Amino acid sequence: MSKLQVSVYRYNPESDDAPWMQDFEIDTQGRDLMVLNVLQMIKEQDSSLVYRASCREGVCGSDGMNMNGRNGLSCVTPLSQVVKNDRLVLRPLPGLPVIRDLIIDMSLFYKQYERIHPYLQNDERPPSTERLQSPEDRDKLDGLYECILCACCSTSCPSFWWNPDKFVGPAGLLQAYRFLADSRDTHTRERLAELDDPFSVFRCRGIMNCVNVCPKGLNPTRAIGKIREMLVSHTA
Amino acid sequence: MKTQRPVSSDKRPVNLDLSSIHFPLPALISISHRVSGVLLFIGLIFMMWALQASLASPAGFQIVSDTLAHNFFARLVMWGLLSALGFHFVAGIRHLVMDIGYGETLEGGQQGARLTVIFSIVLMILAGVWVW
Repeated sequence: MSKLQVSVYRYNPESDDAPWMQDFEIDTQGRDLMVLNVLQMIKEQDSSLVYRASCREGVCGSDGMNMNGRNGLSCVTPLSQVVKNDRLVLRPLPGLPVIRDLIIDMSLFYKQYERIHPYLQNDERPPSTERLQSPEDRDKLDGLYECILCACCSTSCPSFWWNPDKFVGPAGLLQAYRFLADSRDTHTRERLAELDDPFSVFRCRGIMNCVNVCPKGLNPTRAIGKIREMLVSHTA
Repeated sequence: MKTQRPVSSDKRPVNLDLSSIHFPLPALISISHRVSGVLLFIGLIFMMWALQASLASPAGFQIVSDTLAHNFFARLVMWGLLSALGFHFVAGIRHLVMDIGYGETLEGGQQGARLTVIFSIVLMILAGVWVW
């Protein structure tokens, strides 16, 4: 049995009033393909289907989508991990506007990322070489810097679904902590001040969907907890 | 140059059909925590009303205690509210534990959610034994 029933979310703003599901039958020949491979086979059947993909190895973060209800990168998600009863449902990442088919508009996601100033800020005079950091301080960035901004976490987060304009979201907050934790960054106080309101950080209710879906195995929930601790100790 | 379209006048669809989305146990615990909180909030109105009635007069006390002793539906509501309280309490403790920094990993979160289910089921059974 190697026939896979695939149901794909379709929406073309030029011809469709509403999104609809299109069914395809794909012969996997018993191979445990990646979901992206299946999408490529579907595209051979119907070239009007569009989706984002680039590196096809989980590095670029382009092909985040909802596969049988779970967010993930289609290029590194084997069928055996998501398919049940030879059925696969592919939908765009939840909560953000759909541009077409599996492609979403990530403007709000990027806006929240931009808000946390995702770059090193240091007011001290730059040394003639690079800014040094002890190996111990460098270790603090592990599990934070690896994020590829695929948006799987933020679009799995109910708090982000309801307040994508006010809640920074797991991806943005993981990066916020990446710079708060960096010994070379001197803007800790300013960074915390910008997050100190009821929505930006505190809309996180510890649902932990972000940790469940991150294709890189990162932990935004823990980073958010650390930011909360910093907010408390800096204002006390 | 900003060319962002305003979100409010956006006609594009959003994929947010909750029935199509898989929710892991910690997410279900989280929403149940809220639902039980709302139930408690509403139930408290009736509890306060019953308390007030039972304190108003000896006859009122008799009515409330008779109802709780003989009316199956009243006891069911009682047990339901106690169960909601038990679950809400355990899930709240889990939040406190997570705030201290435990159970924030992928496995830890699932473990904590499972423990929440187990402890609240125990409390629900105890509440049932106490009510009946």
